[in-house]
Amino acid sequence: MKSYSTDSNAPMIERRRFLAGLLALAAVPLARAQGRGMTPLSPPLAASALRLKDADDQWVDLANLRGRVVLVNFWATWCPPCRKEFPSLGRVRKLFKPSEFEVIAVNVGEDPDTVFSFSGNTEFPVLFDRDAKAMASWSVRGLPTTYLIDRQGRIAYRATGGREFDDADIVATIKQLLKS
Amino acid sequence: MIGIREIVATALFMTGLAQADGGIEWRHRAARDAVTLTANPLGTASRTAFYAARGFAEAAIRPYAQACGFSFGMQNGGTRMLTTQLADWHALGADGKRIALHSPEVWDATWEKAGVPQPARIAFRWAQFQAKNTFEPGDWIMGMATLDAAPAEPFRLVARYADDKESHEIVLDRLECAHD
Repeated sequence: MKSYSTDSNAPMIERRRFLAGLLALAAVPLARAQGRGMTPLSPPLAASALRLKDADDQWVDLANLRGRVVLVNFWATWCPPCRKEFPSLGRVRKLFKPSEFEVIAVNVGEDPDTVFSFSGNTEFPVLFDRDAKAMASWSVRGLPTTYLIDRQGRIAYRATGGREFDDADIVATIKQLLKS
Repeated sequence: MIGIREIVATALFMTGLAQADGGIEWRHRAARDAVTLTANPLGTASRTAFYAARGFAEAAIRPYAQACGFSFGMQNGGTRMLTTQLADWHALGADGKRIALHSPEVWDATWEKAGVPQPARIAFRWAQFQAKNTFEPGDWIMGMATLDAAPAEPFRLVARYADDKESHEIVLDRLECAHD
């Protein structure tokens, strides 16, 4: 696993800008409640291709996860609801067997150092959509947007806006997809 | 450049808000049926810092940062799909003058003309309240937006949304631009 230093050697001005950016982010307040549940797509739609590099510069291809249920989350560190829901991606990932369920977080437009300074090491792949082309091909309308991909590689559920992915409704949805 | 003093002041300001409610609060909130609209004014310094940290030159982002701007959050707590178009929203000044919201696409055209780097434009584009939004039940979307001009204060913001049958309005009253 590639390691990233959190002890930045960036010049002071860059550090100040980064701090200011985070504080400005805080100035974009969080709503007290995230949304709940996910919206079913009926019928499910074939998911677009998703092949991007992770922080180790290794290609990850959604097609290789066919047969598992996959939660695909488009996000950015500057997006308050994305930051709020991010820990729940790790929590829901732990509720299922890796052979049955996977989480993929697709960061939009940022670099690995910026992302790592927020996320640290994760138990699921974080992919980098630096030019937002994947986001466009998946018809994402806002951040965060999350898709649940069924075992057949189809988009079965979608959610726009923040969620807590270990919420009982969403866990039940994943269990239902695992049975189908 | 954003000074450390300014950063600390912002942090203290946000801490104060957080202590007031156990979480950062929206300053303005309105609800109609199961739809909630929230807003907070955004200052010049915080927006400059935020976008400078995302790759904007301070001179480039200045027109946006100095415009009367807000962070909006909208949640569909109902059971019907809703749509919004920013072009249907407007501010109504204390003098009765109606002022439109500035389209994110128009801002993006400005950035393209000014040669703003693509990663910065991506961050900008997705940090905005989108020109057109679709809210499935449970969806919660937030983003920044600016007005075409600063209205006579205090002013009201009239936000329109539509379900499958008719259009509705939510009104946020007694808004003021941030003055920093």
